[in-house]
This record gives sequence, C-alpha cells and structure tokens, in this order.
Amino acid sequence: MIELQWLIPLLPFVAALLVHLLSGRLGQRVARLSVGLNLVVLILAAYQLFHYIAADSGPQWVALTGGWGSLQIDPLSAIMALVVSGISLVVHIYSVRYMVEEPGYGRFFMLLDLMTGSILLMVMAGDLITLLVAWHLIGVMLYFLLGHNTEPPRTQRYAFWTFIAYRLGDLPLVLAAVILFQTYGVLDFPTLFERIAATPDARTFLDLPVTGAVAFLVALAAFAKSAQFPLHTWLPYTMEGPTPVSALMHAGVVNAGGIIINRFAPVFVHSGEVLHLLFVVGLLTALIGSVLMLTQNDIKKALGYSTMGQMGFMVMEAGAGAFALAIFHLIAHGLFKGTLFLNAGNVINAARRHDGVPNDPLYDFLVERKSAPASLPWLMIAAITLIVPLAILVIVHAWVAPGFFQQQGAIVLLFFGWVAGVQVLFSAYRLDTENPLRMMALIILSFAVIVVGYVMVGHTFEAFLYPDAAFRAALYSAAGIHELTFNMLVVLLAVLMVLGWLGAYFTRVRRQPVDDGRGGVWLSMYSLFSRELYVADIYERGTARLLDLSKRLNVWLRWS
Amino acid sequence: MSILVLLLAVFFLPLFPASVVFNRLAAASDHLAARVALFVIWPQIGVVLILWGDLAVGPGVIAAWAVLSAILYAFRMLTVREVGRWSAMLASSAWPLAWLYALQAPTAPSLVAFTLALTAAPVLILVVRAALASRLEAAYTGLHGGLARDLPRLSGLIVVTTLAAMALPLFPGFFALLAVLSGATLWVAIGILLTWLLWSWAGARLLEGTVFGPRSGPVAPDLSAFAAWWAALLIGLIVAAGLVWTGGAL
Repeated sequence: MIELQWLIPLLPFVAALLVHLLSGRLGQRVARLSVGLNLVVLILAAYQLFHYIAADSGPQWVALTGGWGSLQIDPLSAIMALVVSGISLVVHIYSVRYMVEEPGYGRFFMLLDLMTGSILLMVMAGDLITLLVAWHLIGVMLYFLLGHNTEPPRTQRYAFWTFIAYRLGDLPLVLAAVILFQTYGVLDFPTLFERIAATPDARTFLDLPVTGAVAFLVALAAFAKSAQFPLHTWLPYTMEGPTPVSALMHAGVVNAGGIIINRFAPVFVHSGEVLHLLFVVGLLTALIGSVLMLTQNDIKKALGYSTMGQMGFMVMEAGAGAFALAIFHLIAHGLFKGTLFLNAGNVINAARRHDGVPNDPLYDFLVERKSAPASLPWLMIAAITLIVPLAILVIVHAWVAPGFFQQQGAIVLLFFGWVAGVQVLFSAYRLDTENPLRMMALIILSFAVIVVGYVMVGHTFEAFLYPDAAFRAALYSAAGIHELTFNMLVVLLAVLMVLGWLGAYFTRVRRQPVDDGRGGVWLSMYSLFSRELYVADIYERGTARLLDLSKRLNVWLRWS
Repeated sequence: MSILVLLLAVFFLPLFPASVVFNRLAAASDHLAARVALFVIWPQIGVVLILWGDLAVGPGVIAAWAVLSAILYAFRMLTVREVGRWSAMLASSAWPLAWLYALQAPTAPSLVAFTLALTAAPVLILVVRAALASRLEAAYTGLHGGLARDLPRLSGLIVVTTLAAMALPLFPGFFALLAVLSGATLWVAIGILLTWLLWSWAGARLLEGTVFGPRSGPVAPDLSAFAAWWAALLIGLIVAAGLVWTGGAL
C-alpha cells in the first residue's frame, strides 16, 4: 500500500509535465488531463485515509533511497492529503472555464499541478530534506501563480512581496533542520522524534536548548507562511492574482504554518515559552486582521484580512496547546474560505444589480406598510446574551469530555467560544426585526447545535490526530502558565469584553454624533487602520534605502 | 609558505577585495566560451591551492572573511543590471562558501564537486546573457522587459536559470548550501542564510526586469525549439548530477 502512496505527491508533478508537453497539441483540452489526474490523486488520498483507519497499524514511513526522499503516513499527513487534493480538484474544475479567456491557459494548469504536488509533498514528507524541498517549492510556485498575468506591474509587485515573505519563512526552517541534524545526526522524522523524546535537554549553539531553539525557528517559519503580524502584508495584496489562485492560497497554502507546527509537535511539547509566543503572536494577528478587515471596502481584500485573522486564531490555538484543534480549524476555514473566494464573482455581480443596503425603518413603515421593529428589554437580553452561550459551552464540554476543563488551554478555547457566542447574540439584538424573541431563540438553537457538533467532532478528531492521551495532556501542560496569572488574565479579558459590548450598546442607543469632541481621535484611528498600520509603507521605505545603499556601493567599487 | 598559498587562493576562490580581479577579468571578454572557461577553471585553481595549503592557520578569520565577502557581493547583486556582471557577482558571492566548506575538511573530490555545484548557476546565467545580447543587442535588466509575452521559450530559460541562481530545489546550489550549513557554526549559518535570501531578492529583480512587466524593446526571435530542448537537456543533466552527488546531502 505504501508504495502506492508515492503516487499522491508524484502524480501532480507528472500532470504538470504532461500539460507542458501536450498543451501545444491538445490546446485547451489539456485542462481535462490535469483535472483527471487530480481526480485520481483525490481517490488515492481518500483510499489512503480509509486504509489507514481500517488497518489500524499505526504510522508508516518509507524512503526512496538511503539518504532523503521519504514519506510518512500518519493521521496528520493522511487527512491533510485528502483535504489538499480535494480543494485542489475543486479549484482545477473551477479554473477550466474561469481561465479560458486568459493567456497562458496551459501554463496556468501546469503551475497549479506543480503547486498541488508541492503541498502534498510537504504534508507527507518523511524527513527533513524532503520537507525543506517541498517548503521551498511552495513559495516558488505561489510566486509564479500569483504573477500568472505577466504584464501588470502591480501583479508582479505583490507576487514579489509574497515570494520574499515566503523566503523569509524558508530560511528559519533550514536553520532548524541544521540544528536538529547536528544534534541528533538523523534526517528521518520517526528516528528524529524518538531521539528528541529520549534526550529533550540537548544543547546547541550558545548553549541554548535544542528543542526551544528549533521550536522558535519553526514558529518563525510558520509566522511568515501563515501571514502572522508583522509578516502579513503580502496576504491581502495577493488578490491581484487570478481568483482560483486566491481560493487555493487561502484554503490551502496559507495553512502551511499550522501544518508545520503540528508536524513538529514532539519538539513544541518541550518548549512552553515558544507556545506562549505562538499564543501572543496569534492573538495579536487575530485582532489586527479582524480590525483591518472591517475597514476594507473591497470584498476580496476584506476576505484576505479575514484569512489573516483566522490564521491568527489557528496559531493561537496551537499556542494554547490545542494542536489538533488548529488543524480542525484550518480545514474548516479552508473549506469555507475557498467557497467564499470562488463565489466572490457572483457576489460582485449580485451587488451590481442590488446594492443590499437595507431600507430606513421609517420608509418601511410608511411606504412598505411593514410594522416597526420591536426591541426587548436590554437587561434581559444582556443576561441571556452573556449567560446562555457560557452555559451551552460548559454543559456540552462536560458531557463530551469532562476532563477537558482541567487544562488551561481548554479554558482559553471556551473563553473564545463564549466571546463568539455572545457576539452573535449581541449582533442579533442589534438587527431590526419584527419578532426579536423568535430570532433570539433560533440563534440560541443554532449555536447549541453548532457547539454540540463542533465539540463532538473536535474531540474525536483530536483523538484521531494524537491518539496518545498522555501526549495531548503534555501539550496542554506545556502551554500552561501560573494559575493565578492565568485566572487574573481571564477575568481581566472578560471584564474588557463586557465593557466593550456595553460601550457599543450605549453608543447605539444614544446615537451620538461622530463629532462629539472625540471625532479627531476616531478619525486618526480610522486613518491608521485604513493605511493598514503603515507596515507596508515601512517595508517599502526600508527596501528603497537598502537598494540605494547597494547602488552606492557598486558605484564606489566600480561595479567589480 | 602555507599562508602565501592561501593568499594566492584568495584570488581564485575570490574573497573581497581580491575578487575585484576576477570581476574585471570576467567583464573583459565578450566571448561566451572564454567566459565559461574562466568561470569553470578559475575557482578550481583556488580549490587546488586550498587543498595544498593549510587552513588551520586561521579558520576563524577565514570563515568571517568568506561570509562577509559572500554577503557583500549578494547585496551588490541587487542593483546590477548588466546580466554578465550579475553572473560574475553571483560567482563572487557563491565561491567564498567553498572556503567554509573546506574548513569542514571534506575530501578533495567533494570540494571540487561543491565548487562545481556553485559554478553551475553563474555559467547558465552567462548562456542567458549571450542569448539576450544576440537578440536585443544588450543584456540589461529593465531595458527590454516583458519578454514572457513574445519570447516564451527564452523566458522559460531565464526563469529556470534564475531559479538555479537562487539555489532553489532541485538545483545543485540548494544541496551545496545544505551541505555547508550542516557543519556551520551559528554565526556562519546566519551569514549563509542571509546570502541565500539576498540571492532570492536579486533573482526576483532580474526576473522583473526581463521576463515580467509590459513588453518593451525591439521585436526579436525566440529560441528555436531545438535550442530550447538542448537547454532543457543541459539543465536536466546538471540537476541529475547534483542529485547523484548529494544523494544524501547534509
């Protein structure tokens, strides 16, 4: 069986070669060849996953030669191969018609196949060098896919931003691989992780702990690939590329950070400080991504910042010790974000026909003869809004996994679940509706169904991805902080959240004019966010300075 | 005696400022065969001298000097527009890494192969330079951009050779860098990675100035299918040789 699995990463490369060689002869029919081979890859990936579950023989590893070039079949690689090949096939099928009027039709499918092969090789890599090869290739393929339309300077500019950000993410992983090889003397993951487990206290350069140094470098690599602040500027601007590429990138490529963090989970389990770093950077990214999303008036750019926020949540989950949940999150996000991107054109067309701006309530009352929207007493709604989501979350978790509450990471996740639930109810309260009680009840029911489904699937998925309960507990434990500090932080954040909601509520009720003395502050903040915190401007200024210095050096040294 | 040999080697496996000699020589001739011969033979003379000399006289100084030379030339590549000079600077940035590899006491064939692996990309860029100059009268980036539209085969060759220059997988430069990194100290490793990053930046700028962007410049014939197949075969052989040599790099 395992020999057959080589076909999963190799077939897309074969498809790319065939597309390149036959595109002159077959013309646009070459796309069918590409789609057909990717369908085979999807079937193989599905078979691999079901075979893995049915055989129950544990992870397998196989190498082409004695040195490097190996695959590892474990829950992570099996499930991600299925997800990647599935999303890639959808993007292929979508592109058959979408790209038909674009120049370089065959080249596009060749690049799409090369990208698919590179991602599949990355998720299935069984040793450090195979992983590095795939890791590098992903950035290169993305560069050419984003720059598929070779002429507009803007396209090339943003493709270049992506390429450089990805190169910044490549190099820390190289250094991590070097440290691991120098310390443990092996390349293949099974032996490497065994040796790390046996001697986790090994030291490296500057007497640093190997696990801490490697985890830090892997985290840096993940930050660049998954658009974590401040290495995020490339992500929203990649919308200059073709829509299928945006879909593939936001649904698959940008998730590379979460995958690599999970692949190196046996290293992170010994590196609590780096997990805390992941949490902080993820949280910051989630906040900034979400705020910047709100200030965009371009749907694709808003989706780009939404992805940044989601990637922040994903990294934060890993930082809380919920590694499996990060994978679950990236799969769920990949599926819905891919759908949104592929549907973006339809939304834009619909918006051209109908702007979607709701009517004024007075207009509805007088002209449309609709009854005026009703409101419930705010104190009752506030109580329901704050308490019901918490109750649902606690009851469901207590039912599915009673021991879950003992982990700090679990509390963090519950906290964010609570925030999301309250936010949904709060938004619903703000909607103008004729029957607010009915709407509130429907939302609570939907929330309960989602939480039950998510929790049950989430815990089953976690047990599948990390079958060793002790290892799962060790990850949560490594991510923990001092109990008193933790409790104080949770209380502080909860108070801040509630104050924020109250502030938003009273602002709405009083309908204060913008220019109430604080208008200047709000305007400055809006300017700051609409300029995307000036991060890209700072990079551009720095880049220009460096190029100027290089030119001066060349002139001074007479170009030799 | 040993120090004198090493000082002589500094000219052939060039370290700054001795590297000025190589760069002047490379710019002196317009003939492709002469340039290729210079690029292939010149560093191998340095390899012979290194093997003859004794690197134990000052490994720390040699390592620092080599790393700084590599970074300096990689940084300068960012704003070089003449493709021939770009190629010479790439070589001047890559060859110092052979000193770092030599400090790890490899076998003589390994050191020769390592240097050849780092020479492959600059030589391929020389071929590109000749192809550009024969069609567009000059091989300057940013002068005649947008070649992808009218000259797809030549553009393909430029893209592939630039990827080789960036030392990306599966070109020999990638495995050569992994080989030298596997025995490097922290600061040397950081220096090598910085050099690698600058190569990527410079390579992307080269592509932006030739292959991508709006088409400008005179109408020119593309590579013939025959020439493109030969180029693909040559590059395939270089990749295969690199894979055979580094079957288990690191």
